[in-house]
Amino acid sequence: MGKQLIISLSREYGSGGHFIAAQLAKRFELPIYDHNLLDEVAREKGFNVQKLNKYDELPKKKFLSRSVRGFSNSPEENIAMMQFDFLRDKAKSGESFVVVGRCSESVLQDYEGLISIFIIGDREAKIKRVENVRGFSRKAAEEAIARHDKTRRDYHNHYCDIKWGDARHYELCMNSSKLGLERTIDFIETYIKERTEK
Amino acid sequence: MLFAQVLAVLIFVVMFLMIIMDKIERHYITLGCGFLTLLLVFGLGLHSMTAVIKTLNVQNIFTLDFWYQAGEASESSSGINWATIIFIAGMMVMVEGMARVGFFRWLCMRIAKLVNYKTVPIFITFMIMSFVLAMFIDSITVILFLAAVTVELAQLLDFNPVPMILAEIFCANLGGSATMCGDPPNIIIGTSLGYSFADFVMNTGVIAAVSLVVIVVFFYFAFRREFAGNKDKKIDISKLPTPESAIKDKVGFGISTVIFLCAVAMLVTHAMTGLTVAFIGLSIALVTLVTSGKYALEVLKKVDYKTLLFFIGLFVVVGGLEQTGILEVVAGFIGDVSGGNAMLMIAIIIWVSAIASAFIDNIPFSATMIPVIDTLAKTQGIDLSVLAWALSMGTDIGGSATPIGASANVVGTSVAAKAGHPIGWGEYCKKAVPATAIVLVISTVFIFVRYL
Repeated sequence: MGKQLIISLSREYGSGGHFIAAQLAKRFELPIYDHNLLDEVAREKGFNVQKLNKYDELPKKKFLSRSVRGFSNSPEENIAMMQFDFLRDKAKSGESFVVVGRCSESVLQDYEGLISIFIIGDREAKIKRVENVRGFSRKAAEEAIARHDKTRRDYHNHYCDIKWGDARHYELCMNSSKLGLERTIDFIETYIKERTEK
Repeated sequence: MLFAQVLAVLIFVVMFLMIIMDKIERHYITLGCGFLTLLLVFGLGLHSMTAVIKTLNVQNIFTLDFWYQAGEASESSSGINWATIIFIAGMMVMVEGMARVGFFRWLCMRIAKLVNYKTVPIFITFMIMSFVLAMFIDSITVILFLAAVTVELAQLLDFNPVPMILAEIFCANLGGSATMCGDPPNIIIGTSLGYSFADFVMNTGVIAAVSLVVIVVFFYFAFRREFAGNKDKKIDISKLPTPESAIKDKVGFGISTVIFLCAVAMLVTHAMTGLTVAFIGLSIALVTLVTSGKYALEVLKKVDYKTLLFFIGLFVVVGGLEQTGILEVVAGFIGDVSGGNAMLMIAIIIWVSAIASAFIDNIPFSATMIPVIDTLAKTQGIDLSVLAWALSMGTDIGGSATPIGASANVVGTSVAAKAGHPIGWGEYCKKAVPATAIVLVISTVFIFVRYL
């Protein structure tokens, strides 16, 4: 591929955002960085990924963290920074890829090839999807949605100047419940093709 | 007066909360709050230009006593403690000069080589080195280099660096408590209350040395299983970096070493020579800059001016509490609670300082407590020096208990995390809390037995 294409996809829990990102990666034949981003970081630096996993995509604990001369004791913050650096390096090398979350729309905002997308969903549709995919009860699904969205919002808003899900800062915001996942993917694919051929 | 007191407390509390929240850089917070203190507390509340002048304390710099004290060291005036700021700035310049030429990395590698790169001897010698270096150099720098070399050696020699880094952090904080120039609270206590380097060495230094022996044994038994597998490992020494490879500038290295040794000699003898810490700080900074030649600007740029600004703002805010008499109220409260019982008063100072320092920055805490213990000594008839040693040990050691208690802890855990070894609160506190409690018990018993 000639021009660099970076698809940054952020999502509400239960919106199917991760599935959409994975399908887009398949259709555009691009590598995807999601939970595996830490595996990649660990492989590159020779770290034991199991030590890092429990701090992935989590906000730093405000009252249990402190910074001194640019150093932070927060494992969450240090691991987030490692991931951001990894993404910057990948983007700098000219690689095209799909990345899920990890503040990527802010971290990579200076790259021309970036297309940032935010996926939301109707509340009922999200609950149903979490019930089906995770096998949760309705109550557990509601709790999981509230918990994960709060964590993602806190994580994002701590490291970025822009607010999580604020439509003004994403190129494309879509409600995956309106068209369904497949047609949402088709729509985004068409958009990306139009946008990159521009 | 009441209005000024309320404002002073309000500004102080807001400053502390903002420092804890860590949203805005802390020097902006203290400078902003310092400005508000000058404007609202001294201007609006007290209508006193004298309080402003007294707190800014600039006139103090232009007195002979500030640079040279012929007789017994005297208590400095209140307000901005310029001696502390000039001394810390001077030490920062010297340390940056040493770092530029590769001194710290060379020292770490040299010691690792001396013990034939054996894990347990490295563990023990690095703890002792951390303690000794932190007696003279700020603990952030000590840990920055020591932890980085520990991570590097851990990769080469295949051991878990976390126990070693935790032990190094603890020993750096302990070493900082041993001398007047080790930990910032000690510099502030020493310059504010007129104690010398020798005074600290003979008092907190003895407590720290006794504690070091106990702590080395404690950490050895606490972590020995972590290193058990490394005993029989064969090490190909030829593949390891040589200590000499750490030296970036041989001439500069020699000069830096001489400057460091001179600084140590000047500090050790300053009560006899009459040279104040402000003089020592300024002179070593000037010599370092002159001998750095074309690198002088590079060295100067690396100085952590934010910390210096943080100190300036902090002293003004604490000056607000002092001038409005709030700290006398706090001293009166401690006196009442202890019922005039010296043992109880000392125990309160050590343990409350320690618990507070485990969670909040120990620099503002100690700066606030100095006028408090000064008042306590005057009103309760207890020797001020005993209270000073209690405050010093409490603030310096308490900070070791948690990952956020002291700057060295933050830097050490950050270096470990960046090397793929994140250290959470649980892992950190599991060994640090008992170690802190041990040293606090030693300090309390020692002060009771020796001074009461």
